[in-house]
Amino acid sequence: MATTTTFKATDIGEAPPAGWTRWLDLSDRSLAVLLLAPAAILLALIIVYPVCRLAYTSVFNLSLTSGLPAEFVGLENYRLMIDDPVFWETTWNTVLITLITVPGALLVGLGLALMANLPFAMQWPVRLSLLIPWALPLSFAGLIFAWFFHSEYGVVNDVLNRFGFEGIIWFNSPNWAFAAICLTIIWKTSSFMALIILAGLQTIPRSLYEAADVDGAGRLRQFFEITLPLLKPSIVVALIFRTITALQTFDIPYMMTGGGPGTSTSTLAMYIHQNTVSFLDLGYGSALAVVMFALSMCVTAVYLRMIRTKE
Amino acid sequence: MSTLTAPGSTSFLSGKPLRFIAAGILLVNGMFPALWILFTSLKTEAELTAKPITWIPHAPTVQNYVQAFSDQPLHVFLFNSFMVALLSTALTLLVSVLAAYALARLNLTYRGLILSLIIAVSTFPLVTLLVPLFEIMRTLNLLNSWTALILPYTVLSLPVCTLMLVSFFEGIPRDLENAAMIDGCTRMGALFKVVVPLCAPGVFTAGILAFVNAWDEFLLALSFNSNPSLRTLPVGIQLYQGEFAFPWPVISAALVVGIVPVAILIVIFQERVVSGLTAGGIKG
Repeated sequence: MATTTTFKATDIGEAPPAGWTRWLDLSDRSLAVLLLAPAAILLALIIVYPVCRLAYTSVFNLSLTSGLPAEFVGLENYRLMIDDPVFWETTWNTVLITLITVPGALLVGLGLALMANLPFAMQWPVRLSLLIPWALPLSFAGLIFAWFFHSEYGVVNDVLNRFGFEGIIWFNSPNWAFAAICLTIIWKTSSFMALIILAGLQTIPRSLYEAADVDGAGRLRQFFEITLPLLKPSIVVALIFRTITALQTFDIPYMMTGGGPGTSTSTLAMYIHQNTVSFLDLGYGSALAVVMFALSMCVTAVYLRMIRTKE
Repeated sequence: MSTLTAPGSTSFLSGKPLRFIAAGILLVNGMFPALWILFTSLKTEAELTAKPITWIPHAPTVQNYVQAFSDQPLHVFLFNSFMVALLSTALTLLVSVLAAYALARLNLTYRGLILSLIIAVSTFPLVTLLVPLFEIMRTLNLLNSWTALILPYTVLSLPVCTLMLVSFFEGIPRDLENAAMIDGCTRMGALFKVVVPLCAPGVFTAGILAFVNAWDEFLLALSFNSNPSLRTLPVGIQLYQGEFAFPWPVISAALVVGIVPVAILIVIFQERVVSGLTAGGIKG
């Protein structure tokens, strides 16, 4: 390494600038290989090889509990999946969580960002109140909100009671449990949305609003014709990342309901985890993961296409 | 500087009452859950089960904190979380500094392709690799070890950190490095003695994001490290639940202990974190 990257001061006198840059060009290739190698090795070990392995395992009957050697079964695992009601239920829950919490977090985040953009005398408490939900681990948020929604001593039911409503036994009914999970996810993820949108808001030139004022455009019209269009790029990127993480939802339902009652609030990620770690059925777990992989690759493909058209 | 105080508008929207309400909503939304857990952690079991529930603890006690450390090896969970997060952050930074330097400074033929690849990896659902990673770690005998987590966590933050650092490096004038190399520095020397120090804020920001990512991760930690002495905090916290008992004050105390380190980080470096999040604009 040292021989290719050492540059002696004495070389300068002999070589004109052109030669000096040629030296750079020559070593660029080997240097690049060297610098990118650690990242490439890590990605190969943790992403590329496992992806191949995943596709491979998914066509085998590989259960660690049976003690039998892996047996090639072709698409049997996928056929089992089609007949498996729990697969459909967990996939549907995952899609539903994505469809509810992504737009939900966007709307709440937009509201929080518009509020945070007001001219406060002190900025740091506002910033901090957006950062804390982001920094809180998802699993912690799940536990904290499980306590919030506790049927006896939870603060949510306490507030409901104070307003004269009857408390809800959140985790006994599939629908209420699902609602509690979605609310928690929206709370947890909306402040990240708000931070991204806030950064976008702060780049909009004020002169645009001044011009709109002169033209007599109302506040609502300004919002829809100036603010929203200019926020679009930052919103779209945030939405795509949020969608991909929503498809992987695990921590919050795992901590809040454990998937219950029954499997009514279980997600695809939880089902993959259960098959892999609890049942040690690696073949079926892999086939499930392939489905999730396909789902999120669709979203990534949209994203990459958008980046390309932007350039 | 706000969009809502454009001149000529004297509506309620720009007035003081609105700001007051907005600040209230923002603070309650951001702080209340953490505050509520703090209150719960200071209550006695008797006060907790009193009806109607109390909001502010009447007789604050630290007993729950004592119990949080004595019922389970909370200090071990903390130590594991801290070391895994710290080591994976260090590895992430080292690897991404090198890669980002190559992408920012060398005229690579496949630069565009590599960048697209990194973006694609940044959206990669690590959950799907649970089975193969589990198999790999089992084969390498790495289940129940820090390494089983450090390697995936490094990959988790690598794309974001690399993309961030590429843009930071591109902001450093090349002349500074060239000058250092003329003075006898090797190219690597110039990178670590000139470029990295100049980008220190950027490298540091990338480091905070990587640290928080690792500190938060749950699924892999849950799946790979089942041995209590190797559990990280999010996984260890589950051990407080008995089969029928759910000691909320003790769990709350453990949660508070787990929130404090990251909260301190956030309070001190909030501006930097916000700039990093919005520049890299990535995880949620």
